[in-house]
Amino acid sequence: MNNTIALEASNLAFSYKKPVVRNLSLRLERGIMIGMIGPNGSGKTTILRLLAGILRPNSGDVLLGGNTPLNRLGRKEIARHIAVVPQSNGTWNYHTVFQFVLLGRSPHLSLLGFESTNDEEIALGALKLTHLEHMRDARATEISGGEKQRLLLARALAQQTEILMLDELTANLDINYQVELMRMISQITREKNLATLVVSHEINLLAAFCSRIVLIADGAIRSQGIVSEVITRDNLKDLFGMDFSVRSTNSGTSEVMPHLNEGDNA
Amino acid sequence: MNRMHPTRILALTAILLIVWIFSALLSLNIGSVSIPLETCFRILRDRLAGDTNGTNSVEAILLSVRLPRVLLGSLVGAALAVAGTAFQSLLRNPLADPYVLGVSTGASMGTILYSILAASLGIAAYGGNFVIARPLAAFLGAVLTIVAVYLIAGDGHRFTEGSQHLLLAGIVMASFISSINIFLLTGTNQADLRGILYWLIGDLSRPVDASIYIVTGIVFAGTFILYLASHSLNLISMGEESALILGVEVRRTKIAVYVVASLITGAVVSISGPIAYIGLICPHIARMMFGCDNRMLFPAVFVFGAIFTTLADTIARTLLSPTELPVGVITALCGAPLFVYLLRRRGGKA
Repeated sequence: MNNTIALEASNLAFSYKKPVVRNLSLRLERGIMIGMIGPNGSGKTTILRLLAGILRPNSGDVLLGGNTPLNRLGRKEIARHIAVVPQSNGTWNYHTVFQFVLLGRSPHLSLLGFESTNDEEIALGALKLTHLEHMRDARATEISGGEKQRLLLARALAQQTEILMLDELTANLDINYQVELMRMISQITREKNLATLVVSHEINLLAAFCSRIVLIADGAIRSQGIVSEVITRDNLKDLFGMDFSVRSTNSGTSEVMPHLNEGDNA
Repeated sequence: MNRMHPTRILALTAILLIVWIFSALLSLNIGSVSIPLETCFRILRDRLAGDTNGTNSVEAILLSVRLPRVLLGSLVGAALAVAGTAFQSLLRNPLADPYVLGVSTGASMGTILYSILAASLGIAAYGGNFVIARPLAAFLGAVLTIVAVYLIAGDGHRFTEGSQHLLLAGIVMASFISSINIFLLTGTNQADLRGILYWLIGDLSRPVDASIYIVTGIVFAGTFILYLASHSLNLISMGEESALILGVEVRRTKIAVYVVASLITGAVVSISGPIAYIGLICPHIARMMFGCDNRMLFPAVFVFGAIFTTLADTIARTLLSPTELPVGVITALCGAPLFVYLLRRRGGKA
C-alpha cells in the first residue's frame, strides 16, 4: 500500500500573524482525486501552498513519496513532482497557447533553458488532453475564460508530475464548463495515475467526481473520507452554519442543496 | 513561432554583429578628420598583421582616439542595455532602467567618493595601482542606491505590475544623489570642471586606464550570468508565484540579478559616467524587433546597445564639430521622449 503514497503531510502548522493551519495530516495517493471543501478563509489555499512546498510549515513535515521531506528539495526538483494551478495566474504575457503550455517544461530544462523536440511533443500531448490543440497558435490573452482554465491545466500537465493540485480551477465558469473540466481532471487522474487535490467551493462537483473529500474549518481537518461518509447534513451544517438537504444518487454520489427560507423564492 | 531555437538566436545575433561592425566603421570614418574606409581597413589590417611602422597622424587618430572610443562606447552601451533589460524584467516595468532607477547616479557618487578618498590618501584615483577600487566603489554606490530606492518605494509596491512607486523613488533618489555629487565636486575644488560636468552627463572622450580590463571582464561575465537567468526571468516577469510553481528559485534569482545588473552598471559608470536612457531605449526597440523572450533579448540587446551607443557617440562627436558633446546629451534627447511615450501608453492601459 505504501508504494501508492505520493505525498504525506503530518502535523502541519502554519501562522501568518495568527494560526492559519493547525495540526493537519493528509495523504495524497496515486490514482485518487481528493476534493477539499471549506468556508471562505478556512485556510484551504494556505494548506495547498504548504503541501506544494510554496510555503514552509512552522512545524510538521511534508514528505514526497512518503519519505523525502519537501524542504530538502530545490524548487526545480519540487516542480518535477508537484504541479499546481494557482487561483490567480498573474499575467499571460505575449505567449501563444502552445508557448504557454511549453512553459510547463521549465522544471525539466537544462542550464541554458532551451526546450527540445521532446518537450514540444509533451506540450502538444497536454494540449490534446485538454482539447486545446486546435487553438495552439491563438494568443493566450485572447481566448475565453473556460479555455484559459484548460490552458492552465495543460501547462500543469506538461510538467509531467505525479501530483496535481488545483485551486479553484472551476471558479467563474459556466456550469457546463465546470462539469467538462472536472470530468477531464477525473479522467486524467485515472489514466495518468495521478494524485490529485482539488480545492473548490462547488460541493456537488467535488462530490460527483472525487473519490475522497476533506472538510476544512479554521485551518484544521474537520472530517475526511469517502464522499458518502463526509458529505452529510451534520458535517455541512457544522462547516457552513446552515441547513442542507443531502441526497444519495443512484451512481453512489451525493447531491447537496441548501435549505432556503420562506420568501427567498420571490 | 513555437519554441525558442538556439540557432535563431545565433543567427539574429550574428546579423546584429554585422550591423555593429558597419556602425563601428562609420564611426571610425566620420570626425573632424575624415578617414576613408579603405584607409581604415588598411591601417587595421597592417596593425593586425603586426606592422607598426610609420605611424602618421591619421593612424594615430584612428588607433589611439577613435578605435578605443568605439570599443569603449560599445562596451558601455552593451552593458547599460543589458542591465536595463534585467531591471525591466525583474520589476515587470518597461520604464525601469539603471538611469531612471537612480542606479547609474548612485554609481557615479561611488566613483566621486572614491576619487575624493583617493586624493586624501595620496593615491591616483585614475590609473595607479588600485584599478579595481574605482569600479568597486561605483558598484557599492549602485547597490546602496537600489536598496534605498527599494526601501523608499515601500512594501507592496515593489513587485506589483506597473510598480510606479519604485520608479518615482528612483527618480527622487537620482535627483537627490545628483545634488550630492555636485556638492562633493564643488567642495573638493576640482580643476577640470568641464571634464567633470561632461562625465556627469555621460562621456566617452576621457582616456581609460587599466581598470578597463576589469570592467570588460565584469560586463562579459555579468552578461553571461544574466543570460543563464534569462528563462527564469521570463517566468518571473509573468508573476512570482507562477515562477515558483514552475521551479524558479525566485528569491535567489532576484537577488543575483539585482547584484549582477548593479555590478555591470557600476563598472561602466565608473568609466563613462551615468549615460542616460540607454537601458530604456535599447531593450524597448529590441523587444519590438525580436519579442519579449529574454533568451533572445539579452544577446540581441547586448549588441544593439553597442550599435546604438556607437552611433550616438558619433553624432555627439560630430554634431557641433569641432566641439564635442557628451554622448549622454544625445541619448537623453532620444530617451526622454520615449520615456514620456511609454509612460502615457502605460497610463492609457491602466
